[in-house]
Amino acid sequence: MTNYFQIWLASARYSVTRTLMFRFDFFLWALVELFWMSVNLLLISVIYEHTDSIAGWTKYEMLLLVGTSLLVQRFLMGFFWSSLFEMGRNIKSGAFDFFLAQPGNILFMASTRKLDLDGLMNSFVAMGVVAYSAHKLGLHPSVLDLLLYAAMIGCGLIIHYSMLVLTISLAFWLTSAQGIEGSYFTLSEFSRLPREAFKGLASLLFVWLLPVVVVSNAPAEILLRGFQPAWVLGLLGATAAWFTVAIFVFHRGLRRYASASS
Amino acid sequence: MFPAFAKYRQSFLIGLQSNLVYRLNFAVRGFFSLFHLAVVFILWGAAFAHTPTIGGFSFGQTLTYFLVMLVMQFFVGAFNEDYQISEEIRNGLINQFILKPINYFLYRFSIFAAARMVTGALILIPLLLALPLLRDYLTLPSEWWRYALVPPAMVLSALIQFSIAYCFGLLTFWFLEIQGFVILSMAIESLLGGQMFPLDLLPAWLFRIAQFLPFYYQTYFPTAILTGRIELAAAIHGFGLQLLWVLLLLALNQLLWHRGLRRHTAVGG
Repeated sequence: MTNYFQIWLASARYSVTRTLMFRFDFFLWALVELFWMSVNLLLISVIYEHTDSIAGWTKYEMLLLVGTSLLVQRFLMGFFWSSLFEMGRNIKSGAFDFFLAQPGNILFMASTRKLDLDGLMNSFVAMGVVAYSAHKLGLHPSVLDLLLYAAMIGCGLIIHYSMLVLTISLAFWLTSAQGIEGSYFTLSEFSRLPREAFKGLASLLFVWLLPVVVVSNAPAEILLRGFQPAWVLGLLGATAAWFTVAIFVFHRGLRRYASASS
Repeated sequence: MFPAFAKYRQSFLIGLQSNLVYRLNFAVRGFFSLFHLAVVFILWGAAFAHTPTIGGFSFGQTLTYFLVMLVMQFFVGAFNEDYQISEEIRNGLINQFILKPINYFLYRFSIFAAARMVTGALILIPLLLALPLLRDYLTLPSEWWRYALVPPAMVLSALIQFSIAYCFGLLTFWFLEIQGFVILSMAIESLLGGQMFPLDLLPAWLFRIAQFLPFYYQTYFPTAILTGRIELAAAIHGFGLQLLWVLLLLALNQLLWHRGLRRHTAVGG
């Protein structure tokens, strides 16, 4: 475990050095992510210009939910996105051999190689959105609530990571996974919706079968309405289940990997 | 004149074949687009729960707007053409086009047209499967002129979409990595192209500004014509601006191509 942490630290150091070398890239990507976040916030603002409530949620409750969803996504972008994005392309090109040859867990090596500081920096913006919304709502969460919120964000990160690994693993079956990673973003759109908006089949599929709603609603509910065992247990269960499925599918896919190198 | 275009017909056919190889990839993307429609349905459905109209349009009209927008994106949107052009410049594959009597823009556009034929056809499959669920909500206007204006608007939209992607691809002559520019452009397009919400819901002054930008004419313009969000006079006025943007972007393409080639270094034999 310590060895893996040291490997991750080495990768992080390399990423920081690389960021300092390509400062323009860093600012550009920070701007890109900031703009995407603004687009999502603007959508909420525009809708609330024409209505007072979405599934019983007020404007600032929705902003808190969207901020929470964006926070999880920024962490995913910061810690894993670049590595997993490249993984899909490496599987196609055969460059994935590089990771197979390394003496360590393949998925760990392949998914933690790069750190994106721009994504991590924008996580502070997402935190700002959550804090601003909480302030507007007059919320005063206890330290325990905040710790629980952080733990739920951690679970959300694992779930998003699992979803992305599952999506990218499709590259083992498809000839080209180019553009497939966009499917992850489509699924993550659900995490910006309140659970109460889902009815019937949609509720069964997106609340109970897929973890996309619980990922953001569980932490947001902690801030809005305090500790709720059902949400916390639901998220913990979903985290364990989806991480297991992602590992399983990745290894099944790995069996199909045919190196393209000579 | 026509024999000169035979080579682009061939590249169109090659583009058709190579895109059909990745049909499963596009089909998966089409399938996931249904999830985007589900988000739209749930979010806007909840927003409409307390009001019969938003911006003067019913829930059915709003849902139809997003559905048509999705189809437009698969028929005229640029997917990864910018990356393909960028890769050809970076890898030096572009050298072969400099040496041969072929126009790189037309070559790339013919492949783009072939790709959109494939993706456009493929998005119809999941939509047809989802039709029983959507049928009750679909609300299209009955004016004949809308259906007559949409095909030319789509052709011009495709030219704008491709020209913007082509410009971003050519930026590789100056920058090693263009992904940041492309994703930033995608964010701007999704907002000002009306993919996130119908642009007429924006504050009036912002909507007015958006009407003068090229993003408005990418997918929003044909979608708004077809879904009844634009009247005839505004549509004709819009055509003028759309055509102007096509010409401006084509000129920019040429400028970037010629300036870029001056910086290009072809290595190897």
